[in-house]
Amino acid sequence: MVAEENSSRSPGISGNPSKKRQEIVENGQNDESLFSPGFRSVAAMAGWDEEALLVASLIVEDTPDRQFKQKKRTDLQSLKTPPTNSRRKRRAQRRSPASIPVTILDLDEDEPKSKQEGESTSKEETAIAEVEKHSKVDEEVDAKSSGVSSSTPSIPCLDRLREELSCAICLEICYEPSTTPCGHSFCKKCLSSAADRCGRKCPKCRQIISTGKYCKVNTVLWNTVQLLFPQEVEARKAADESATETLEEPSQSRTRSQHTRRSRRVVELRSLESSNNSAETRRNHEQPEQRIRNRPQSSRGDVARTELPGQDRDAALALRLQREEFMEAFTGPEDWRGGSLAPATARANLRAMASRAINIRMSRGRRD
Amino acid sequence: MMMPAGGGGGGGRGGGGRSWPSTTSVSASGKRIQKEMSELSFDPPPDCSAGPKGDNLYHWVATLFGPPGTPYEGGIYFLDITFPSDYPFKPPKVVFKTRIYHCNVGSSGDVSLDILKDGWSPALTISKVLVALRSIFTNPDPYKPLVPGVARLYLADRVKHDEVAAEWTLRFAR
Repeated sequence: MVAEENSSRSPGISGNPSKKRQEIVENGQNDESLFSPGFRSVAAMAGWDEEALLVASLIVEDTPDRQFKQKKRTDLQSLKTPPTNSRRKRRAQRRSPASIPVTILDLDEDEPKSKQEGESTSKEETAIAEVEKHSKVDEEVDAKSSGVSSSTPSIPCLDRLREELSCAICLEICYEPSTTPCGHSFCKKCLSSAADRCGRKCPKCRQIISTGKYCKVNTVLWNTVQLLFPQEVEARKAADESATETLEEPSQSRTRSQHTRRSRRVVELRSLESSNNSAETRRNHEQPEQRIRNRPQSSRGDVARTELPGQDRDAALALRLQREEFMEAFTGPEDWRGGSLAPATARANLRAMASRAINIRMSRGRRD
Repeated sequence: MMMPAGGGGGGGRGGGGRSWPSTTSVSASGKRIQKEMSELSFDPPPDCSAGPKGDNLYHWVATLFGPPGTPYEGGIYFLDITFPSDYPFKPPKVVFKTRIYHCNVGSSGDVSLDILKDGWSPALTISKVLVALRSIFTNPDPYKPLVPGVARLYLADRVKHDEVAAEWTLRFAR
């Protein structure tokens, strides 16, 4: 890539002026040369900052359609292609291959002309040109990064970075780093256990750590760590998970046994409920006026009305079960895996309740 | 005269076995100790060495060379290091196995060093502890002595103190 740049820098090779200008753009190392001042002013008028433009160009770069068109455009500018009836292409041709380079947008020249054509077209045009330019910039950036990427695996100061970003307590790369008010960073877990067992002072400088504040993850640092040492972070994550898994194994089996116990209880409640049902129907028979009052309503409404007490009890049962669920899911911090189990049990319970409701309804229907 | 050292070593090993409960924190402390071990072998502090005594990762032996320019010059000092199960949140126990005439090292080899007691911080490592131990060779602290007699002599008659210390070095540390 360096050789390519050198060759393009040498004036002898680039003969055609437009090409030369393009190369100047491509050689531009900073944003100043990528955006001409005129283009910038227009972008500013449109309310776009450079970041937004870059993002937009990135998005455009992703769409293959645009790349295709752009390829055609480069064709257009190098060889004089026959006229087409596409409006955009026509415009490009109007700007003409050799006289006005496409890649550099000379807005100072462009603008009066487009103003004649009307404000909307001018905006459109600048947008297109800008998109084009940005895809070009993108290409350049890609090329640059690909040139760099060969050297990225061996960032020269990676060892020093590793040292800097490692936690003084566990001596590994900071996992979810948390920064003390005095500016020292440790793994969140390490810092909290250090505060618990060694007193609330910074392990590095022994300054008093105010309670509560220190256990927040320093997101910038954490993201940096994740970017620089993805493997270490993954390994640590996996290790943590396996550790908690082995820790949680007994508690998980416990929750399972609890679950079976609970479902048995549900069955018991159901039998209890069904025995209550007969009492309830008796009670319903004892209140004939209410039934009569309900007669004029639709039969469906009637059923709903008569089942209301049952529904209330259902709701109470559901509430109780839910409460139990919550109690079990959140009793201890070591029980977090129980949380993943809780939805399953909840689902089972709901299913049981639904089936019970259907049973009741069916039996009612038969009775009615 | 070498007997106490050997006997102490045996006792130390027993103590190490006792203070090695297999709790869940073992893996964390073990990991950290392993990390320190590899770092020590990779980049040891000057005139020091340390490593596990046997299979037990929590029981190390360290050596310190008496720094030149001190009465301990030429001596090789062996130390027992025992890591608690909740290391690094609790300090390691360091015991001199070689006898030394020093106001901060007791007759049983225990060391009065702030960072090994209240001044401990989980950010400290064995390598830093060894550096600190080396520094008490050059700068004894007679104001917090374990052996008041030695401290008194150090303050009153430095030359005499250094003579005795050099003799002990010759007798016990070679």
